[in-house]
Amino acid sequence: MTSVLTQTLARLLLAPILVVSAAVLVKGYADVGDGFAAGVIAALGILLQYVAFGRAEAERLLPIRLVPAGAFAGLLGALVVAFWPVMRGDAVLEHLPAPGAAVTQLGTLELITAVLFDIAVFMLVLGAVVGIIHAIARAAEGDER
Amino acid sequence: MLTLWLSGWGGVNWPWVPSLDLRLHFRLDGLGALYALLATGVGFAVFLYAWRYLPLHLEHQDRSMAEEPRFYALLVLFMFSMVGLATAQDLILLFLFWDLTAVASYFLIAYDRHEAESRRSALMALLVTGITAILLLIGALLLYAEYGTFSLPELFELVRPGGTLTLAGALIMVAGLAKSAQVPFHFWLPRAMTAPTPVSAYLHSAAMVAAGVLLIGRAYPLIEPSRLLLDGLLAVGGASTLVGGLLALTREDMKQVLAYSTFSQYGYVVFMYGLGGAAGAGAAAFYVVAHAIAKSALFLTAGAVTEATVGAKRLSEVGGLAPKMPFLAAASAVAVGTVVALPLTVGFFADELLFKAALERGEGFAAAAVGGAALTFAYLARFWIAVFLGPCRSEPRAVPRLMLAPVAVLATAALVGGLAPGPVAQLAAAAGESSVREPVKVAVAYHADLRSENVMAIATYAGGGLLLLCAAALQRPLGAFARLGSRLGPAHLYEVLLSALNALSDRIHDLEVRDLRTRVAAVLFPAGLLVLLGLISTPTAGSYDVGTIGTRDIGLVLMLALAVVGSLAVTVPRHHLTLALALATVGYALAGVYAFFGAPDVAVVAVLVESIFALLFVGVFTLLPAEVLDREANLPTRPSRRWRDPLLGIVSGGVAFVLAWGALSRPTPADGAGAEQARLAPEAHAKDVVTAILADFRALDTLVEVTVVAVALAGVASLLRRGRLW
Repeated sequence: MTSVLTQTLARLLLAPILVVSAAVLVKGYADVGDGFAAGVIAALGILLQYVAFGRAEAERLLPIRLVPAGAFAGLLGALVVAFWPVMRGDAVLEHLPAPGAAVTQLGTLELITAVLFDIAVFMLVLGAVVGIIHAIARAAEGDER
Repeated sequence: MLTLWLSGWGGVNWPWVPSLDLRLHFRLDGLGALYALLATGVGFAVFLYAWRYLPLHLEHQDRSMAEEPRFYALLVLFMFSMVGLATAQDLILLFLFWDLTAVASYFLIAYDRHEAESRRSALMALLVTGITAILLLIGALLLYAEYGTFSLPELFELVRPGGTLTLAGALIMVAGLAKSAQVPFHFWLPRAMTAPTPVSAYLHSAAMVAAGVLLIGRAYPLIEPSRLLLDGLLAVGGASTLVGGLLALTREDMKQVLAYSTFSQYGYVVFMYGLGGAAGAGAAAFYVVAHAIAKSALFLTAGAVTEATVGAKRLSEVGGLAPKMPFLAAASAVAVGTVVALPLTVGFFADELLFKAALERGEGFAAAAVGGAALTFAYLARFWIAVFLGPCRSEPRAVPRLMLAPVAVLATAALVGGLAPGPVAQLAAAAGESSVREPVKVAVAYHADLRSENVMAIATYAGGGLLLLCAAALQRPLGAFARLGSRLGPAHLYEVLLSALNALSDRIHDLEVRDLRTRVAAVLFPAGLLVLLGLISTPTAGSYDVGTIGTRDIGLVLMLALAVVGSLAVTVPRHHLTLALALATVGYALAGVYAFFGAPDVAVVAVLVESIFALLFVGVFTLLPAEVLDREANLPTRPSRRWRDPLLGIVSGGVAFVLAWGALSRPTPADGAGAEQARLAPEAHAKDVVTAILADFRALDTLVEVTVVAVALAGVASLLRRGRLW
């Protein structure tokens, strides 16, 4: 699998995959896509690097180390978004700004707390899948260090 | 506590869960004050005792002193729940504290948790009192259904005699009887004597067992209207007194004698409630006080004797301690005197009241009361004589003073009560008043004449002495009775039921989780049958349309066909990798179906999930040794499986098919939830309704789902990497 051809392809495809993933994430509010799908797409991109380069090389080339920890950061983020409104006396997961209220726009993306929630879901899914890939790869090496 | 009661504190009555009509309603009425005083007073004496006893106990068992705080914490928890139980005026609140005492007692009885016997006994106590506690809850709910309130004072005003009241009263009564270890639930109490001595002294004199009669006293207005229930109390109380007394005569272990004695004595109390009326209720309350003080002193005595004789627990191992330990001998003599109702102790009045109440009811009842009291006299005299008189078997060692002082304090209390019974009588009268809801007079005094109570007392002493002399001759028949009881009695029934339940649970567990297929079948098959029943009972007119298929639908039909072929193909291959790929084919085909059906969001997610899962499957297969995979793939199908698995698959699949067909045949209502959410999506700043649902409308579901993903990561990390994430 670790031929020059696959390695070149994997390297070439990584950036577009991540861009697609980001697009699916932020476009989710206007079109098909959401944090979950974006997370899986990004994880597939990283899995491609594992397959093409091998675990050690892929982890040397890319800053993957922090990604699994991001899963728990994402969980924390989702919980904060969920329960922050409770502190303010609203219902769980009450998003801001309120329905129909004026909202800052970034292109077509409307910046509401639901987007934060989706980003948290993205981080969680990406982190979890990459963490599982890493665990399988390490276990397959028989590395019990 | 006393000052609070005397000052006539009105208690609190706060709303707690208004939607369920639950209130935090506490009031320190007579009954509450009496039991709360007992729980805290005797509790304090036991606490002092435990302060010295526990370090010795732990030392004997080579245990760490770090286990000490746990004991005190549990004891305090127990005391707290007991006070809560005594003052609660709401049936649900009562039930909560009731269970809290059961839980605390479980941990206290099993305090010597390294001993299997302790754990078994604690479980028995918990099961017997916990399961019957459910009856209390059912009774409370029955009353709520009928009268619309859980509040006891309100219920007392509302209840009318009738079937519901009798049933609810009976359920509550049974819960109380089980807690008070009355026949036929008595077997848990002697077993619970495996607990450390302070626990026995507290739980089985003034607290846990007393809670049972407290409940009967508290719910008395619900029980009293039914003559049947009162007669039941009489029968159960009488039987408990008799069985407990007879068996106590035969016991060899000091604490066992006291344990049998305890439920025998509570049999009196139950008997008195059964006698009915103001006299019975007042006498019962008085009796509880006298008994709790004396019995806890006796338990503490047993513990001190065991400590002094380096671990002697049986009556035959001790003896002649009176000259060596005169202080303890005197204090426990007072305690014994209290239980057997010698003059000058508070116990004398307790029996006087019992005799008076029994006499009021009839001569037969009076005779029964005298018989029970004589039995008590016999076995407690035997206990005291065996411990303190006769030849001395071993030189006792010194016992810490703090272990003797509580016995003395309790004995003094019994003596003071015997000389000036006024305050106790007043408290008992108030407690009786809470039960019967009319003024109760508890008149106690010494009368130097031959009135019938005095004659009955003398008859008791004489009868008891006679029984004591015959005790040796009675050992054989009584021993046979005890053996019969343990072989065929309720304790045996408990064991049989418990092991049958255990076997049943094992069977179900085996059936469900032994392998993945039975587990899936255990979910799918019953679910399929239930849905099938639902389908059969639903009118089918108009359902099951077969629509038309146009040229536009060819893609959809092709994808469905692929899914069908894939599903059938899954059943063929035996190698794991092929299986995973066949499953992925089904997944992709279904993604195609979603895409053609107009659900691109779902289709995208389906494709992504299918891809990542297929790849992870491959990764996981590399972790398994090739020969294991080979062996598993070539296992012959068990004959029993050959028909079962396809049958289960066909039934559950067929039902799902019929269900989906029926559901899809019905026209979607235009104003359904889906349409409403599509209308609201723009308002929630989302142009895509699926995203709005995931991140906003149903975001709580999403939150839980992603939490599951995080848990899965933690699971994989701990299985493959011993908990390391990287």
